[in-house]
Amino acid sequence: MGRQLPPPARIPPRPPPPQSEPEEQRSQSLFPYWLFSFALVVGLVLGLGVSWALGPLPERNTEPFQLGEEDRNHYMIAIALEYAHSGDLHRALEKLVALRPLGDPLQALADAACELASSDYINSESGVQALRLASRMYTAQGRSGCAETLLPAEDLPDKPAAAADPAAPLPSPTPPPTKTPSRRASRATATLRAVATSVPQRTFSPLPASTFCDTADRAVIEVKIVDYLGRGIPGQRIRVRWGDEENVFLSGLKPERGTGYADFQMDEGISYSIDMPGASDPLRADLITGRCYTESGRESLKSFRVTFRADS
Amino acid sequence: MRRFVQFMLLGLVLGGLLGLYLGWFQFPRDTYRGDMTELAQAFRDDYAVMIAAGYAADGDLPGALDRLSRLRVDDVPRYVQQLADRVIASSSRDIRDIRLLVALARGLGRLTPAMEPFLDLREGGR
Repeated sequence: MGRQLPPPARIPPRPPPPQSEPEEQRSQSLFPYWLFSFALVVGLVLGLGVSWALGPLPERNTEPFQLGEEDRNHYMIAIALEYAHSGDLHRALEKLVALRPLGDPLQALADAACELASSDYINSESGVQALRLASRMYTAQGRSGCAETLLPAEDLPDKPAAAADPAAPLPSPTPPPTKTPSRRASRATATLRAVATSVPQRTFSPLPASTFCDTADRAVIEVKIVDYLGRGIPGQRIRVRWGDEENVFLSGLKPERGTGYADFQMDEGISYSIDMPGASDPLRADLITGRCYTESGRESLKSFRVTFRADS
Repeated sequence: MRRFVQFMLLGLVLGGLLGLYLGWFQFPRDTYRGDMTELAQAFRDDYAVMIAAGYAADGDLPGALDRLSRLRVDDVPRYVQQLADRVIASSSRDIRDIRLLVALARGLGRLTPAMEPFLDLREGGR
């Protein structure tokens, strides 16, 4: 009996060596990510530190709102000087708003005048005169600052503007004082000038409010303050009252929405009345938001558009 | 070793540039505060017109000179003359602004022939 030999064991084929391993190793050795990342982070921190330590880069062609505090104050006084000549409150407010004050632009002017009145700016008669003109502008609009109290008693020449009238005869560059006016005379002059340059506060009438429904602007009162030609007026005070509370805000602080624009966020179920304090009667109807549906059928909360128009 | 140093330097430079960009443009610590000399030309002109209007209001020539000196120009009267001439030539501003500048230039003794026609103009308002 012949023994049958077992079949020869088959040697399993050796698995092919992984080909990617050397490639990875090679690429890792070519580009050490960890070291690059570490250096990147260190560089980033250094760059941030250097930029913050050096401060902002100097710019050219800056706008007035980018001025430093001292130059901003002088720029505001220049606005007040122009207003003293033109009496154009709209233009003056536009320029004040362009300075992007944190709050009320006229109060910002009052604060600037206060700051200058507290400095050596009032050591010159020119400075005193400029601050007087500035204080007339903001006090005529119901604002106040410390400049009024810091300024010395008024001591103005009789008809200063006549010398600068473009059609008037050539003035001497530095007119010498002819005589010192008496106290009584200067006070009388001051009273006359104040009457001549003060601008009566504008009165406004509310137009009937309209509603709109938008998912982006939910429960918002959009207010526009316009002159009789429909041009927006910035810097006007608007008051919203509800219950025992109230909120006063200004037009024109969102210039991208228009110079006379302001808005107020409502809460559901609360009745709001709106007016311009001291300048208009309240809107006849109180405003209450509630559920509404947009044209596309989406649910939102009703918003309002309110316009106050200057009477003249 | 040399390659490691190269990558480290590359990371530092790129990270540094990114940090400078973020620190100066995206997340600046302070907003830039400039002075009158850095104002754009249009705003410098506007400032000069406002000062000219102030002169028209109060007739204070030394005050106008002092205020214009904040623009740090070498020769304020010459600056006013050049500005008025430029504005007239380019018609870049309102006629009222031109008249104010001309009045100030006249006050400073810098009237030029180009300005003279604007002295006689009368307006309905002021």
